Amino acid sequence: MSGIIPTVPHEALRGVYFDAQSAVAQDVRLVVDSGAQQLVLRGEAVDVAWRFEDIRLVPDQAGQGGLVLRSASDPEARLLTAHRELAEAFPARRRRVIGVERGRIACWALAAVASVALIVFVLVPTMANQLARFIPPEGEKALGDATLTQIRGALGDNSQSGIRLCTGHEGTKAFAALATKLSANVALPVPVTVTVLDHRMVNAFALPGGHIVFMRGLLEAADRPEEVAAVFAHEMGHVASRDPTRHALRSAGSIGVLGLLFGDFAGGALVLFLTEQLIEAQYSQGAESDADVFAYEVLAEAGIPPSALGSMFERFKATSGAAKGITAHFLSHPSLAERIEAARAATPEGFVAKPILSDAQWSALKAICGPSR
Amino acid sequence: MSELPEAGPWHRRDTDAIPTRYRHANPEPLDGDFVGDRGRVFGLAVRTGILTVLTLGIYRFWMKTRLRRFYWSAVRFGGVPAEYLGDPLEKLLGFLFAVVILAFYIGVVNLVLMFLSFSLFQDNFAAYLLSFVGVVPLWFYARYRARRYVLARTRWRGIRFGLEPGAWGYAWRAIGYWFLTIISAGLLWPLMTFQLEKYRTNRTWYGDCQLTQEGRWTLLFPALRHVLLAVLIAVGSVFVGLNGTPLAFGVTALCVPWFAYGLAYYRAKSFERLTNGKRAGDVVFLSKPRPMRVFGIYGFGLALSGFVASFFLVPLGLALVAVLGAMLGFEDEAAMSFDLMTSGSLTVIGILSYFTFFLSWAALTHTFVTLPLWAHFTETLTVVDPGSLEAIRQRPRDEFDEAEGFAEALDVGAGI
Ligand SMILES: [Zn+2]
Repeated sequence: MSGIIPTVPHEALRGVYFDAQSAVAQDVRLVVDSGAQQLVLRGEAVDVAWRFEDIRLVPDQAGQGGLVLRSASDPEARLLTAHRELAEAFPARRRRVIGVERGRIACWALAAVASVALIVFVLVPTMANQLARFIPPEGEKALGDATLTQIRGALGDNSQSGIRLCTGHEGTKAFAALATKLSANVALPVPVTVTVLDHRMVNAFALPGGHIVFMRGLLEAADRPEEVAAVFAHEMGHVASRDPTRHALRSAGSIGVLGLLFGDFAGGALVLFLTEQLIEAQYSQGAESDADVFAYEVLAEAGIPPSALGSMFERFKATSGAAKGITAHFLSHPSLAERIEAARAATPEGFVAKPILSDAQWSALKAICGPSR
Repeated sequence: MSELPEAGPWHRRDTDAIPTRYRHANPEPLDGDFVGDRGRVFGLAVRTGILTVLTLGIYRFWMKTRLRRFYWSAVRFGGVPAEYLGDPLEKLLGFLFAVVILAFYIGVVNLVLMFLSFSLFQDNFAAYLLSFVGVVPLWFYARYRARRYVLARTRWRGIRFGLEPGAWGYAWRAIGYWFLTIISAGLLWPLMTFQLEKYRTNRTWYGDCQLTQEGRWTLLFPALRHVLLAVLIAVGSVFVGLNGTPLAFGVTALCVPWFAYGLAYYRAKSFERLTNGKRAGDVVFLSKPRPMRVFGIYGFGLALSGFVASFFLVPLGLALVAVLGAMLGFEDEAAMSFDLMTSGSLTVIGILSYFTFFLSWAALTHTFVTLPLWAHFTETLTVVDPGSLEAIRQRPRDEFDEAEGFAEALDVGAGI
């Protein structure tokens, strides 16, 4: 290595000085003035004094054979010297030299967090709500189909086409009869398509384009056809208000933003996953109670007491109280007790109930996924 | 580099890229030297990597700054180290700035694209495609801006480097040349390499001295020869093999490592020829990297890093198997006893193993790929004629608040 840092006898300390004005390497003699607590640099065109307390090591240097020094009083100039032992004399050598104002960082950080929050929680939802009204039925249907395929893929662990659909002949007919009775007096923006997934989860949900999806677990847990009808009516409420469409559009917008924020390094993927879970969570409390109110009317029209919705909530809460992993959005709602109460109150005095399905239809519906296990 | 003391630097070059009019009578070359050692870069990468994980990624701006300081200070010409002066907080600031702009773009534009795509085509493919296409110019833009920031924070002999503004011009050119490269099946790759390098070099300054890139793009064409030959022979041998000579597939298999060598060869040779065609006033350079060495560093470094880092994935795999097994057996009542404790500790094992995999991969590639490559390219580079280097004066500081925020947010790999 052709070192420009000279090694000379101890008594004559030498160094190379760069004044940050020209590229000239200026040879300097170093005088340690312990009395005045300063390091004097003298060369042909250099006469500089650095106070000991101003001298800093330039950090993270790869070279271990010498020192690269700077002074807080003249942050641009550099002194290179081979005399490592000099460092002991500079008490503040490891302190850093501040470059950027902290106040501006704080301002930018606040502005960034605020505008991302504004985009994720206000702008994107508002736009999604508006756009959901203008999406044509075919488009909405396609969005729902795509989402259903995604969900089947995510739930079915290793099979090619994802989780199996239940298509038992008699069961499908029974479900169609139920759907016809319920939607007889209701105007929905899109016709309803019922799908049953072969999965043990006690859950049901609506997807864009009029998809209402039941999981096998819910059908098995239900005791009477009225309970299934109550869930169905509730989901029809979501279809009527296009909640799923808005939801799908909203997540299309906000997921990318969160990925952006956390970067890709190790932490990124996990934090992203957790945050998505939070955003995905549920429809708003308002959307849920709207769907409930919608369900009361549909149920009453079909001759089912609206309190069936409340008893269903109670039953599912009781049967699944111990089991984890049941994430039906009915159960996680904080004001479940209020909703049960509201369903009771929505049932008029002296309501005359009519059976919605015959016993034969009911057992066909329960067996839609094949022989019960 | 001093095995030919009598011959003078001009006899050591094997290219005529340096115009003879810049020759001096008795130039005193400044040899390149790299003083960083593997142990220290490994330690630095591990320590800063752990801090990055613990701070959910915030420390990555400090990590990047510290690693760059280390690499820059390891590069010496004529014994004088370079210096990196970037400030981590300024990087954080730039990142936040970019996040504000990009959050709007990604949130709103993706939403509208998704809506239009489903409304018009009943499919989301168009949305993904347009969303990707929309990011491409931004990606090149970010690369140029990142380079501008890094050069503005690099000094040697106390003098700053600088890059003139011109990121959009760069982005359009990059897209154009990429397009040409793709439709010419890679034959015009040297054209892209040369023109983009020329665009950047001609806007680069060292102090008050502007750099220039000389030569023509055809200069790089020979650098592509191993890539081209490997592809041609591979295609030919597949053709012969399909026509009843299965032995020919053996030749195809040999073309794979040959192609990899071709890429390393192109990297080394294009660097050599471009560097030898660069000039800063009357300062000229001589680069002589060895393609085989570059190939060896990539091959050995990547294989070793991948092999060692993958050990850390084993616990993650086991945890996944255990969780899956428990979930599949969930329908049996007995499996309900798969309690929260077990699943919690399995999750912790999984997360730890995931992190250690990334950490060790990053630290090992620094140690066995990035650092040896830097060392090789630096040690084989000489400022063959410093010319009137000493007459160069300082340039004003480029404040550039945005730093490399866009590159960081879009995850554009801007070196280290
Ligand atoms: Zn609901």
